Amino acid sequence: MPVYNFKKMAPVPSASDFVDIVLTRTQRKTPTVVHPGYKITRIRSFYMRKIKFTQQTISDRLTAMLADFPRLSDIHPFYSDLCNTLYDRDHYKLALGQINTAKQLVDAVARDMIRMVKYGDSLYRCKCLKRAALGRMCTILKRQKASLSYLEEVRKHMSRLPALDPNTRTLLMCGLPNVGKSSFMNKITRANVDVQPYAFTTKSLFVGHTDYKYLRWQVIDTPGILDHSLEQRNTIEMQAITALAHLTCSVLYFMDISEQCGYTIEQQCNLFRSIQPLFANKQLVVVINKIDAQPWETLEADRKKLIEDLLEESGPNTTMLKMSNVSEEGVSQVKNEACEKLLAARVDSRVSGNKVDSVMNRLQVVYPTARDGVTRDAFIPESVKKEKELGAKKPKKSRKGYAPTVDDSDDEADDTPPESDDEMIGDDGVSTRKKTARELMWENGGPGVWAPDYREQYDLADPEWRFDAIPQILDGKNIADYVDPDIDDRLRLLEEEEDQLAAEYDAANMQRMDDDDSLDEMEKAQVSEIRDRVKIARAHKERPGGRNRPALPREIRGRVKDMHDSDAKLKASAIEKRMDKYGVDTGAMLERGRKRERDDPREIRRRKRDAEMEDAAPATNEDEEMEDGRGKSKGAIKRARKEREQSVKRASSQARSHSRPREPSQMGLKDDDMAKVAKKVEKQGQFRWHGGAGEGDHTKAVHLVKWMNTGKKRNGTHYCR
Amino acid sequence: MPQHEHMERHRKLHGRRFDAEERERKRDARMVHKRSEFAQKVHGIRAKLYNQRRFKEKATMRKTIAQHNERSNKHANDDAVADGAVPAYLLDREGVSRAKVLSNTVKQKRKEKAGKWEVPIPKVKPVADDEMFKVQRTGSKKNKAWKRVVTKCTFVGDNFTRKAPKYERFIRPSGLRMKRANVTHPELKTSFQLDILGVKKNPSSSLYTNLGVLTKGTIIEVNVSDLGLVTTSGRVAWGKMAQVTNNPELDGCVNAVLLV
Repeated sequence: MPVYNFKKMAPVPSASDFVDIVLTRTQRKTPTVVHPGYKITRIRSFYMRKIKFTQQTISDRLTAMLADFPRLSDIHPFYSDLCNTLYDRDHYKLALGQINTAKQLVDAVARDMIRMVKYGDSLYRCKCLKRAALGRMCTILKRQKASLSYLEEVRKHMSRLPALDPNTRTLLMCGLPNVGKSSFMNKITRANVDVQPYAFTTKSLFVGHTDYKYLRWQVIDTPGILDHSLEQRNTIEMQAITALAHLTCSVLYFMDISEQCGYTIEQQCNLFRSIQPLFANKQLVVVINKIDAQPWETLEADRKKLIEDLLEESGPNTTMLKMSNVSEEGVSQVKNEACEKLLAARVDSRVSGNKVDSVMNRLQVVYPTARDGVTRDAFIPESVKKEKELGAKKPKKSRKGYAPTVDDSDDEADDTPPESDDEMIGDDGVSTRKKTARELMWENGGPGVWAPDYREQYDLADPEWRFDAIPQILDGKNIADYVDPDIDDRLRLLEEEEDQLAAEYDAANMQRMDDDDSLDEMEKAQVSEIRDRVKIARAHKERPGGRNRPALPREIRGRVKDMHDSDAKLKASAIEKRMDKYGVDTGAMLERGRKRERDDPREIRRRKRDAEMEDAAPATNEDEEMEDGRGKSKGAIKRARKEREQSVKRASSQARSHSRPREPSQMGLKDDDMAKVAKKVEKQGQFRWHGGAGEGDHTKAVHLVKWMNTGKKRNGTHYCR
Repeated sequence: MPQHEHMERHRKLHGRRFDAEERERKRDARMVHKRSEFAQKVHGIRAKLYNQRRFKEKATMRKTIAQHNERSNKHANDDAVADGAVPAYLLDREGVSRAKVLSNTVKQKRKEKAGKWEVPIPKVKPVADDEMFKVQRTGSKKNKAWKRVVTKCTFVGDNFTRKAPKYERFIRPSGLRMKRANVTHPELKTSFQLDILGVKKNPSSSLYTNLGVLTKGTIIEVNVSDLGLVTTSGRVAWGKMAQVTNNPELDGCVNAVLLV
């Protein structure tokens, strides 16, 4: 079942906008830089792409437009006729046809021009052809100005049409202008149609929805119809006629018996007769309106007769009902009658149609027959029976705390008495209905004050434990970390393992004791000491991260006092002490160390320097004191001496720079002469590309190229095409 | 008003905001300034287009104003018509000044005096051979260069068949062959798309004429039977000369002006 919703059609741009959209898109979505130096195939494909892309864009957009607009032959005849009256079918078809032709023309232009570009032999020629192609396509689009603007208007109007479903249950009001159709519409739906005391207030179809028997009913308000021939009818009236002609519905023909609308009853009857062919196969209700102004009973006899004759003519299915929008008399009756008639007719048509057979064939209704005379009632427990007898009226469940519903609105007053009855039953001991948590909550102060105690429901080995307090932290540990459902099993396993290990250890001990029996007390002590030290040594060795640096050779280790200062020397006494512990003779060792120290060249140099200083210092001191010692204070002399000593020290000290590595460029060269030779060779090698110029003559290419940056810069004059 | 004319409906139910008129007036008043700001700022092709559009708008505006002022305007021939009674046979010639008639006759004479073969585009830039032809190298080693491909648009007759490759010196690519021309009738000021019947004269070279090359200034013969033109002897003319006014290889179409 198609849904007639014309709101989703995309807006149709005007012709000039269309051209802008297409050209902008081409400019944005295709490459823009090409140079005459490119290979000609590349230039050609650059421009062919532009042409093809433009054509594709136009074609896509026009195709989408054609797909969006409904084809009048495909939609429901009601809508097709409505479109005809509102937009003129021929005009509509022509517009769409022209759009289609334009699409084909654009395709043809693109095809031709691409063929020409294939023979282009220069950038200029290709560019001219592209320009011509785009221009011709845009011209074709511009010619569609009228069609496009017409289609846009149609689209806007269509999207504002009421969402009317031609196949659903529908009530349709018709009649002369100003007889009260729209007022009735406002009475039974929420459509909020404009009601005014002049003719043709309603100028188009209006849709509202009402409810009857839990079904949704579509109510359509039509503009008033005048009594003249079909050719003379205008667009507004034709909409009403279209709706009448094509919708399967229940028709309410409104008659104003007070004649306030400006038309006599006779005229109204004539209109009825003239549009009667449209009422065929519809459920017709003639509504006698405005009985507040002119009651039916007091109507003149001849006029009454006119209406009654009309009803007789129209056949037995026509119902006449009287109502008034002002006094609201008979409004719902009219609605119900119309709905009822249509519903009956719809069901009837379903049953009488040929589709029903296929359903009925598959239906089979079976009634079970009694197998024997035994009655098999539902099983009701004794307790329930007893309770039923006692509490004749069923204890009502408390509705307190729930959202109020319609059911308990009348019981609001006696909300508490049933509860008290319930209590009494409980006291008797016959019925022990447990109070629900909700009831308890309301008794104890409502939500937020009282909450059920879930500890009551704990299932523990001893029910007395239920209310015991459980600490969160015990012995500085969070007990939640130690909660383990299998803790008993694990403990048992652990204990078993421990027992086993203990037994093994004992057995091993017993055996060793047996071995050591041959030793005496002294030996045993020594053995145990040795074993302890071995143990310590092993532990020390295996200690992780104990030493993370290269081991020093033994000769150095022997001399070193602490590990951090490898230059520091052990005192002879310390060596003796350590070595004695191991029972090693230290005499030769110390002698060797001393000899090494004496022969060390650094040590010899140091000694020599010290000796020189010793020699020099007293001499100068004496001279100084001799010369100018008298006139100076004691502190000044002291300061001067200190300074002197330091200057001597500085003079004799050696600069660190002697050990600095050589310049990287001279690495691998023996000496300065070698370095000079190397430099000369290098220069000779570079002569070929530097020429005779030195470093000062080196140049760098300019960034600003003159021919690229002078002259006027406008769109398209340079190499950007 | 359809049901969903929501704007109108809302206006009907709730009215407009109190300063709506004021806002509209202000927007209109500002529009002038905005336009001028844009017109001063815009440049390039957009400026060109904008100025064209604006000129048109202004022209129509001037025309409308003139129409409104029609009654109060002073017209050139007001005095002439008002001055005395004019005989009936002179009524249709009112206002035609003597000078205009004179100038027309002078123009007519000058036209007749001019040569019979005067054409709309009298001077044409000659097209060199190496621009016209591309060398197609042939042979298995591609060292022979006696074949030529025409790079301009051409016209070839309906019953043309290519020669055997061995004898075909000039190739006229089928993509560049033209069948129809957009011909303007200079007096009617209208254009028609007409079939080309043949190339009469290519001003650059007789070789091009033989090959049927269409360049700017080429005289072609077009089929005008649809136009219903009549010759001086009273017969319906069906072939007429026209001169090509554009470069077909750059535009992808042949534009011509009828020689009458």
